Order: sequence, then structure tokens, then C-alpha cells
Amino acid sequence: MFKYMQKTALAAAMVMAAGAAWAEFPDKPITIIVGFDAGGGTDVMARTAAPFIEKYLGAGASLVVKNVPGASGQIGVTEVANSVADGYTIGTYNLPGMMARTLDREAGYTADSFSYLANVVNDPNVIVTSKASGLDTMEKLIAAAKAEPGAITVGMSSLGGDDHFLLTKLGKVTETEYTIVPFKGSAPARTALMGGHVAMGILNISEVADFQDQINVLGVATAKRSEFAPDVPTFEEQGIALESGSMRGFVAPAGLPPEVEAKFIEAFDKLASDKDFAAAMAATSNPVELKVGADFKALNAETLDLAKTVWETSPWN
Amino acid sequence: MSQNTPNRFLRPETLTAIGLIVVAAGFLIPTAALRPLSALLPAAMLIALIVLGAMLLISDQREAAKGEPAAAMTKAPKRVLAAFALIALYALGVDFIGFYPATAISVPLVAFAFGYRHPLGLALSTLIVLSAIWLIFSFAMYQEFPTGRLWSL
Amino acid sequence: MYLDLLHALPHVLSLTNFLAVTIGVVAGIVVGALPGLSATMAISVLVPFTFGLEPLVALGLMAGIYNGAMYGGAIPAVLLRIPGTPAAVATTFDGYPMAQKGEGGFALQVAVVSSSIGGIASAFALMLLAPPLSKLTLLFGPAEVFWIAVFAMCSIIFMLGGNVVKGLISACFGVFVSVVGSDPIFGNDRYTFGYLELLDGINIVILLVGLYALPPVLDLLESPLKTDTANENLGTEPIWRTLPRMMRFWKTWLRGSLIGIWIGILPGAGGSMAAFMSYNEARRASKTPESWGHGEPEGVAAAEVANNADTASALIPALTLGIPGTSVAAVMLGGLLIHGLQPGPMLFRENPDIVFGFMWQFLFGAILLLFLGGSLATNSFAKLLKLPRPLLGSVIIVLMVIGVYSIHGRMFDVYLMLGFGAVGYVMDKLKFPLPPVVLGLILGAFAEENLRLSLRIGRGDWGILFANHTSQVLVALTIAVVFGPSLKRRYWDNRKSGAQG
Repeated sequence: MFKYMQKTALAAAMVMAAGAAWAEFPDKPITIIVGFDAGGGTDVMARTAAPFIEKYLGAGASLVVKNVPGASGQIGVTEVANSVADGYTIGTYNLPGMMARTLDREAGYTADSFSYLANVVNDPNVIVTSKASGLDTMEKLIAAAKAEPGAITVGMSSLGGDDHFLLTKLGKVTETEYTIVPFKGSAPARTALMGGHVAMGILNISEVADFQDQINVLGVATAKRSEFAPDVPTFEEQGIALESGSMRGFVAPAGLPPEVEAKFIEAFDKLASDKDFAAAMAATSNPVELKVGADFKALNAETLDLAKTVWETSPWN
Repeated sequence: MSQNTPNRFLRPETLTAIGLIVVAAGFLIPTAALRPLSALLPAAMLIALIVLGAMLLISDQREAAKGEPAAAMTKAPKRVLAAFALIALYALGVDFIGFYPATAISVPLVAFAFGYRHPLGLALSTLIVLSAIWLIFSFAMYQEFPTGRLWSL
Repeated sequence: MYLDLLHALPHVLSLTNFLAVTIGVVAGIVVGALPGLSATMAISVLVPFTFGLEPLVALGLMAGIYNGAMYGGAIPAVLLRIPGTPAAVATTFDGYPMAQKGEGGFALQVAVVSSSIGGIASAFALMLLAPPLSKLTLLFGPAEVFWIAVFAMCSIIFMLGGNVVKGLISACFGVFVSVVGSDPIFGNDRYTFGYLELLDGINIVILLVGLYALPPVLDLLESPLKTDTANENLGTEPIWRTLPRMMRFWKTWLRGSLIGIWIGILPGAGGSMAAFMSYNEARRASKTPESWGHGEPEGVAAAEVANNADTASALIPALTLGIPGTSVAAVMLGGLLIHGLQPGPMLFRENPDIVFGFMWQFLFGAILLLFLGGSLATNSFAKLLKLPRPLLGSVIIVLMVIGVYSIHGRMFDVYLMLGFGAVGYVMDKLKFPLPPVVLGLILGAFAEENLRLSLRIGRGDWGILFANHTSQVLVALTIAVVFGPSLKRRYWDNRKSGAQG
């Protein structure tokens, strides 16, 4: 209630102060809250995208990145949810992580706490196996998993993330069982895989594209093959219906003034056709897949539903 | 801790041992709610701390029984407490009134309170510290410090 | 590959890039030397700032800071018994007693020479052996890493101090602090009491500043204003005169370099573990182990050579596999990513000038350290520490707050540090040894995570821990280290009594 009054008062004050204030948005620097340390994947995405967003917001807009790291981005995203919805604070947002956290712990926000601006990156999951395992096709992998349920160890970056959800889907679709080995982050999982300490891994395409000589990449969980590794077939091609990925985008606190929201969405829409933007993102290993406004909101709802089913059938903590 | 009334339960080591046992036992309560593998290491450590605390308690009480005086914790407990309170106050100051104002007050205040009373030296050192920090962190590195929660209410 | 290495040299020698390394080394020494500020903090503050810089300038700054800070940490460790960085904890063991004996100047010279040698050895390892060493990293899965942690943990035995009960309490306290945060496997909260700030665990710098810097500050303020300090006479001689006296440390330097490089290429543990292990091994090999801890210069050499020898080598797994060997390397990895330099085999092919240039910068940083460190430490910092005590205390307090606040940019950590400070003061006064706390914090959760990962890989079968040769060798080593000394003593005693009888 207090927050609402505060917001209204603030909005009113601004209208009074600047007359047609919204028309001139932005008239001061916009803060992007990044829930990770400088140099993390999400941070690099935000910093790379910022100049392009500035360009399309026009009117001399300037974006300032503020790192609020901790708890896999939760501290930052909670700060976004609780900040004033005037468009001068936006934040980075990760799926499915941010929604999964509303299930496995008491999060300080819900799906309704945000205005969904745009999802920018979709880093699709891949299933990889170690060279030592000899499982170099999906068929062999599934056969081995069926032969002895749980015999295949699967390295991944954490429980309750995109990797975990993909494995759950795979298990359901192919009626197989696996032993999950959740490392702290994808690089340790990939290293254990390269050393043959685990047989199989679920990672993201940008994390394995450079390592195709050292591990078998069996398939990618997208509708179309990824530019990052055009030789890797999709799961669809192999007769398994699997799509999943790690997504990064931008949100603002819920209740953004409609004019401001429209301005952001317009800017993000223009990003989609910007060749320089695509090149800059590719250079930092960020596969772009823009979903703006309502599409992003729908994507979020879909992800939340999936997370809920996984959480209900096999809670991870 | 006066030497004349050697209360054997007020010896610093005894108090520490009792505190340790109580705190470790307290932490066992949330440990019970964890899953077995998750609780394994913390529970082992807490139980070890309780056992070790008990051993410390016994050995210190034996020394007390022998009439050996406890080693004094500090020569000037009041000064230590005051120093700690000032540091805590400074941290609160940074949080609530902002980093630079709190530092501008704290540097000369702490130095003055603990015996350095040279006015020119105080002013000069405060100035040097503040400007060096501003130059390195705020000016060169764009590092943000707390601006004070009090002002943004 | 070696051709690429030579090809990258001219890029590094350009004025701006070389200047970046120089500035980095000086800044690193200063940051390391100021109690409260750490290399992790300095580089994490620097990373977002470097977004707008040329990659080699940014990386040169970071390489310089890393090298400089690993030595700079020794300065307050020797003069004030406050380790300037986590890796300098082992330096206090003998460095501070040396300073009390009036040999502080010599201690610092030993430290700078040893640091430089460690840094150079490490840089060569990175430049010449990165690909084969990264293959070595692959041999170490969770089970093997668990044994490394156990091996290192055994060195706690040697630093328990006079009172075993108190030493064990310190160690258990450290391990318990390490489990705070999210569970390594399930991700559920342990002892966070709803504070998200605790979810990632307690950063070593927060604990270190609280335990090591706050009690001495309280001591500085406790005793009434005095002008005479024990550190007044550093006993500095020109370095060319002291250098010959250091030559007898060559074995320690060699051993410490190898330990540092080895610990560096293993993911996770880092500088302080290397320094502890090197110190222990050097003491074990020494003919006069009883003088250790009472101002043995070789102890300073052992600790300092190892904590610099893991700097460049920690980047081997970071550059090739994306897994940093130390927490500082983890922050530096961010500095690479921000310039679009993705770790992996392609990094060396696509950006050879930058990657190999970065390696050269490590080498230059280590060499520069010798020249910049020597004069800077003995002249400027020693003077700084002669400030009136209350003033010095109040300045250190400010630095502590900045250092802890800047790691994650939050006040929560500052309050946490004050809490540890209160605990640390009581521990210090009641003569609980502090090094086991640090080692426990570093190794506790690290060992647990790897044990539980192994158990999952083995599907609950504890046999997985002994399943391959690497593990078996490590187990044998651990047993030899723990029981070796007492067996050896018994053997000698038997022979002596045999000879007499």
C-alpha cells in the first residue's frame, strides 16, 4: 500500500514538474540492475546490449549497469521488483531460474511483479557425452539408459535450472532414468565430462561450441539448428520432441507507465533487425532470440508452468 | 575481572566454553530439519564443537580448582569496548548517513578519542584519507559507496 | 604455439600495455599492503571499469595487480601480523616474529624475492606448459579433488598451536562457517535464516578482515598513545647484501614453486592453501623445525614463493577449461569474458596475441615486482606504519569497511565482518589459533562438495573414492604425511636405543 502511494505520489510529482514528462522519457540515466558479478554471461549480455538500447530509445538515453550479485541473481531481481516503476530502473532476468526460485524457496517476488520488456538471449540446451563413455549417438545413450536405469551419470550446472528441466523432459519422453550430478556451474560440469568422470552432460550450446573436439555433442534442443554449431542435429531431427534453453532478458517493475513501456518495447523491437547487434552478441557467445513484450510474458508463464510440473512430480530440494 | 574475587565461573575461558556449547547446541535445531547428507558435515562440526567446548570447560575449571589465576583478556576492557562501539557506530553511519560524511566524522573522532589530539594532524589526515579514497574509488573507478539510507526515506 | 608466443611479444611491449602492467603491480602492492583491501576486491572493482579499455591494457592491469597483491599482502603480515590478503596468512607465522626481532626489513626482502621467483616460475608454467597441464587438471574429478582437500586439511594438525583443544575448536568453527549458504547438491538453505546475502556462502575476505584485522586495530587503540613501536627499526640492509643470504632457500623456492603451480591448476582452493602446504613441506624438510614459527626466514620464503606461484598457473584451467584455480582468477575470468574472450581451446587460436600477450604480462609483472616491491615496501609502507597509533587505527577501520563493502557492494557484509571481528578478538585474546579457521573455511565446504559429488557419481558407493590410481596415490600421500613423522621418530629412537644397548 505504502509503495503504491509512493509510486503514485512520485508519478504525480513528475508529471507536475515536467508537464508532458513521459514524452521526454528518458531525461536521466536509466539503471540496469544485473543480478550477477561483472563479467558473468548475463552481465556481458547487458553491457553489450546497452549501447544498442540507448540508440533506439533515442533522446540521448544513457544506460548504467549496476551489479547486484548474489544468490544466482535473486538479490538483483528482487531489487528490481521492489524499485519504483518509472522506467529508470530495469533489470536483467533469467529463465527458468527466476521462476523456479519462486517454487523452491520464499522469493520476494512473483511472476506478477514485473513488466516484461524483452527476452534477448536463448541459449539452447545440448546433450553431450564424454568420449570415454563411447555413447556417441542419442540411440546408444537411450539404449544404455534403458539397459540399467540410473547407470548414466549426468553432469549439469545445478538443480532446478534449464539443464535439470531438460533432463526431466528427456526422461519422460524416452522413459529413462538418470543419476544427476549437480556441479556448481557449467564449466566444472564440462571439465568433469572431458575428464570422463561423468558419462553425460547437459549444458548450453554456447558453452560447448568450442569444445566439440573433446566431447560428443549429440543434439540441440531447438526447433532449428543453432548457428553456433551447425553440424549438431536438433532433437526433432532425431525423433525426440525436446526444446529447452537458458534465457536472458530485461524486465522492469510491474506498473510501468504505458507510454514508457511502449517506448521500451519499440526500442527492443528494433533490436531484432539490427545486424551490428546480432554480430556483437554472437561475438560474446550469446545466441539471440528476441521475444518482446506480450510474447516474453507468455514465455515466462509457459516456463513457470513447466517448472511447476517438474517441482510437483520430482521436487529437487 | 578483579583479582580479589576469583569467581570460578566468570573466568574468560569458562564463559567462552559455555557460550560455545550454547550457540553450537542452538545451531543444532535448524540442522535437524536438513536432509541427512546435507546435515552430515554441519552436525558433525556442531557436535565436535560441543564436545571440545566441554573439554575446554573442564580443563579451565581444573585450573581454577588448582587456584591458578585466569589470564586477563585485556588490560583495558573499557577502551576495547569503546573502540568496538565506535567501529560499529561508524559502520551504521556509513549505512545511514552515507560513506563520505561518516568517514569525515569517524577518522578524526576515533583518532581523537584514543589519544591523538593534534588538530592540524587530524584535519590533514582526514583530508588526505578522504581525497585519496575519492580520487581512487569514486573518480577513477566509478565505484559507488552507500549514500545513506536516511536521505532516501 | 611457441611461435604465437613470440609473435605476441611486440604487442605487450607497446608503451600503454607495459605501463598497464607497471601500474597494476604498484596498485597491487598497495592494495595487498593495505589491511582490509584484497586482490579479489581490487580486481572485481576493476572489471566493469575495463569494459571500455583495450583488452591487453585491461588484462595487463589485472595481471599486475594479482602479482603485486600476492606480495603486498606480506607487508602488513610481517609488520602488523595482519595478512593483507588471505594468501598471506602463512606469512605471518615467521614474518611477524622476525619483525619483532628487528629483522622486518630482511623478512620483506625475503618475501619480495620469493614472490618474484614464484611468479616467474608460474608465468613460465603458464607460457610453456598450459596445454599439457590442463590435461592434468582433467585427471582430477570430484573424488580426486576431495582427497586433495583431505591432504591439505591434514596440515591443520601442524598449526594447531600449543593447545590441541583450542586448535580443533578453531578448525571446526572454520568448517562450520564454510557450510553456511546453499547446499552444494540440493541447493536448499543452510543456516541462512532467510538472508539471501548468505546464500552464496561467506566470502573468505569478510572472515579474514574480521578475524585478522579487527583485533589488531582494537589492540592499537587499547594501549594508550605511544610513539615507540616494535616495528620502528626494520633493520633494512641494501638488497644486494642480503641476497646471498637467501641463496640457501633454493630448495624451498623450488618446492614452493612446484606446490604453488600444482595447487593453481586444481580448481577451487587457491593461494592460501598453496602457502600453507608449502610452509608445511618446507618445515618438514628443514633440519631445524623447532625454529619455525619463531622468526625463521625460510618460512617466509616458503609461504611467499607458493602464493605467487599459483597466480599464473591458476589461469591455466581458467583459460583452457573455464574453471578458475583461485578466487582471484575467478574474478579475472570475468575480465576476459567482458572482452568477449571465451575460455576454451578456441581462445588460443582466435585471439593468440591477446592470450599469449596476457601470459607475457604475467612474466613481466613478476619481474617488475622485484624492482618495484623492494623499494616501495621498505621505504613507503614502513613509514606509513609509523603513524601515530590512533590515527593508523582509524584509517585501517575505513579501509576495512571499503574493502568488505566493495566485494559485493553491500553493507550486510560489513556487519558480518564486525561480528567475526568480535569473535576474532575473543579468540585472539584467549589464544585460539586463527589459521585453522581460515583453512577450515577454505577447505570444509570444498571437501564436502566434492565428496558428495563423488558419492552421487558412485551412486552412493563409497568405493568410488578409491576407484582409480590418482585417488590411491593421494590417499597414500596423505597417510605418509600424517603418520610419517611419528613413524620416522620411532625408527630413529629404535636405532638409537639399539646402538646404545
